[in-house]
Amino acid sequence: MTDATFGELRLHRLKKIEIVLLAEDRLLVEDLLKTAGVGGWSMIRDVAGMGHSGFHQGKTIFNDQSGLVMFVGVAEEKIISEVARGLARLFEKRPGVTFLSDVEVMRSDYFAKSPA
Amino acid sequence: MNMIAPLSPGAPILSRTEVAGLVALAARTVPPLWPLESAIAVNPLAGFENLPFEEAVGRAAPLFRARRNLPLAQWRALLALGKVEERFLRDAAIHKLGGLDPAFELIGPDISRLDLLMARLSHLPVENEEATPDALTPDAAFIAKWCAAFFDQGQAAFAMPHRELGLYRAALAVIAHDPEFRALTGAAGHHLLLSVPRDPLDAIAEGLVVLGIPRSEEEGKLADLVARLPGWAGHIRWRTENADADISDGAPAGMADLLALWLLLDRAGAVVTPPRSTGEPDVTAQLLAQFGLTRATLASLPEKGRKRFAEIATMDEGALGGVFQIAAEWTYRSGLATKLQSAAANPVSCEAPDAQLIFCIDVRSEPFRRLLEAQGRYETFGYAGFFGLPIALHRFGDMRRRRLLPVLLSPQHDVVEAPAPGREQDALSLAAGQEQARRTSMLFNAGKQGTATAFATAEATGSIAGVLMAARTLTPGLVKRVNAVLSPSREDVLAPASGQHRDHAWHPTFSLSDKVGFALALFKLTGLSAQTARLVALVGHGGSATNNPYASALDCGACGGHAGGSNARVLASFLNDPDVRAGLALKDIRIPAETWFIAAEHNTTTDEVIIFDKHSVPESHGDDLARLVESLAKAGAANRDRRAALLGRTAKDLLTGAMHWGEVRPEWGLAGNAAFIVGPRRLTREIDLEGRAFLHSYDWKKDPDGTALTTILTAPMVVAQWINCQYLFSTVDNDRYGSGDKVTQNVVGGIGVLQGNGGDLRIGLPKQSLFTDNGTPFHVPQRLLTVVLAPVDRVERVVKSNDILDRLFGNGWVTLVVMDPHTGKALRWLPDDERDAELSVAPTIHELEI
Repeated sequence: MTDATFGELRLHRLKKIEIVLLAEDRLLVEDLLKTAGVGGWSMIRDVAGMGHSGFHQGKTIFNDQSGLVMFVGVAEEKIISEVARGLARLFEKRPGVTFLSDVEVMRSDYFAKSPA
Repeated sequence: MNMIAPLSPGAPILSRTEVAGLVALAARTVPPLWPLESAIAVNPLAGFENLPFEEAVGRAAPLFRARRNLPLAQWRALLALGKVEERFLRDAAIHKLGGLDPAFELIGPDISRLDLLMARLSHLPVENEEATPDALTPDAAFIAKWCAAFFDQGQAAFAMPHRELGLYRAALAVIAHDPEFRALTGAAGHHLLLSVPRDPLDAIAEGLVVLGIPRSEEEGKLADLVARLPGWAGHIRWRTENADADISDGAPAGMADLLALWLLLDRAGAVVTPPRSTGEPDVTAQLLAQFGLTRATLASLPEKGRKRFAEIATMDEGALGGVFQIAAEWTYRSGLATKLQSAAANPVSCEAPDAQLIFCIDVRSEPFRRLLEAQGRYETFGYAGFFGLPIALHRFGDMRRRRLLPVLLSPQHDVVEAPAPGREQDALSLAAGQEQARRTSMLFNAGKQGTATAFATAEATGSIAGVLMAARTLTPGLVKRVNAVLSPSREDVLAPASGQHRDHAWHPTFSLSDKVGFALALFKLTGLSAQTARLVALVGHGGSATNNPYASALDCGACGGHAGGSNARVLASFLNDPDVRAGLALKDIRIPAETWFIAAEHNTTTDEVIIFDKHSVPESHGDDLARLVESLAKAGAANRDRRAALLGRTAKDLLTGAMHWGEVRPEWGLAGNAAFIVGPRRLTREIDLEGRAFLHSYDWKKDPDGTALTTILTAPMVVAQWINCQYLFSTVDNDRYGSGDKVTQNVVGGIGVLQGNGGDLRIGLPKQSLFTDNGTPFHVPQRLLTVVLAPVDRVERVVKSNDILDRLFGNGWVTLVVMDPHTGKALRWLPDDERDAELSVAPTIHELEI
């Protein structure tokens, strides 16, 4: 990835992956992210929205495994591509969507590869 | 052999993440298996819930080499006992045949298809009965042996070396020295041990290529291997997904480790494919004889008639059992719906209660509540037994925390157990006694298992052990009384200290806002009015059993397989806190100043009820408490009598059984569970639900947006469905989905039980929890029936917005009946397959025919 500048700031180009899936499958994705070497990620719980099968409710009180969650991870393209390969196998059987995009970050060391 | 064949240059090898994805999917074939100290009910077919029920059972049966349904002879016994009514069996048979017209289609002179099927269901012998238990194959026995060695929690005399490397690598390091490995794999195994990748994901990727598994079959291959040892695979899932991280310290293992080991054996040609199908039965001769027909008559029928005849003559036991199961469900549903509709139409008037009691939704609460209500002006409610508190408790003197919450949640607050004011010295004595007992046990085990010390230990301790054994056998009550005199009661000495953070003295465990939120949930979810009675009791529950590996299965499922008293104590303390009451008042919940909340625990084995923290009850409420204690004792005695009759024992026996180390059935637990009813108590108060219903209180008028209903259906009902499915499948095939006979079980490594001295960890419930001594099922295997009293449109909105509900009701794992308060009608949610078969513009709800 080539770097870029934004005003005075020096930016580093990386890839971002966003994954929305059933909360009950979140450990599967965590496993993939770790296996690929993604150093860290965010997980947003209780994601509500409209999908193929209608409206998905957001928050439930007594069940962390119901509803949808969204993962956001940033890493080098090679690593994100590894995650995407694993997800492709997963989504052959489980519902979920993935978005990939280019991003620029200020501190590239925050997104360094973690030991698998 | 292909085990050392080089990878062909063109062979696509999977990336590590692709393998991780496949392994994760394959792991779903089995549910997590909780250890004995916190036995949690799970649906053994949880991984198949995305399929319609019947299809799921059909797919899982060959994978686990299990029955699809109860043996026909047992269904016939239940028919004779009236658990299944003949008229509903007939209706279910008509349904199976596709409706009235196809069912009454004539096959021969005055012989309809229905006649043939009814004969098969009721009279004719069964040929080619479904799978019966077979011995573990050598490959599975080998892997099970090394799993037992690796996962041992300090019980074994010698720990397996290299555990820190993980299951797969540790096994690679030692199995070369195992003669069983050499016998199984020969020279091929030896070579493979030197050449296979040391990383399990890489080993799986290579194994799939070398074995020539096509892409479309990779996941199926791995799922097959996971299903070979569902107990150990389930233990791995629990360890990686549900246990605290320190459980795996020094011995990590994931499903990839297990699968890499399997593929190692497979590459060495040591994996045996167990036989799966027993073939289709054919009772043509018996069926012809039953109706006085000959083969010539059959041959003279038109082709369509012969085909129809053959369809029924070759129906296997699983399919016939399925008809019985539907008949059992309809028998129960019809009886319950009739009573509930009548109750909804004629609501009982309620006087202002002297006391209110909030029980767990557990099916064992219902009869106790009914008998208590008969003692005086008591109003009872049903609420999830963890009382909405996502807590883990650090018990005084214990190394590990206990998760006192449903497994659907993670602990949000760590509560410490601390000495009650003025009881600090007693607490120290209690902890010292506990530590001494632990060390003595460790020393005894080390001596017993040491090669040099085994005989000396037996000689030195044998006489003492003999006396203790005699005392525990002949006078278990005396032993308990002696223990009670020697050590103070734990609940008097210790209490959960909700105001004291475990690690930071300056930071409370709960903020005021947390406390108000948890207190508010009680009112919102149960419909409890803010105008509470003078005394309100939060009643958790737990069982009591001695020398019983399944003791925790008798405790509260909502509290993670532990007793619920601590949760009740914490919430009661919040509700008596003036700051919390002020916070509640801001949310329009104004609790009367004269209301006092107490915590209690119902012992479901003895029907005794402990009241906690009596010393803190205001003097002004002394008489109220005394009256309640007396009523609880009377209700307990009445419930003991009722339960004793069901167990074929005397009420006194039940008290003895709870203390006796030889007792194999201290209570029936949740056997018989069949319904989950969401509505106010007035709907069920006049009905004897026979301890078969989970009762969650709910007032639709106080829940306009359906939030409370969503919570009730997506959490407590899901737990109830797991329990229901565990009982259902453990009964259907006790050898595969249950844990078999308790008498021949052995506890392994503190984590589970084995049958005999080796093999897979057993899942599910033991035979004694489900069957009477003569082998007749006490538990009737039937799917959960959920009944909700609420407007239909609201229920429909909640179900359609939550995937988990759409799946459970749509795939027929749970039957949903909605009782509409506006119309008084009972409506059934149509499963997807029935909806597809209906009109093109298909309704989701159908009026229930009762």
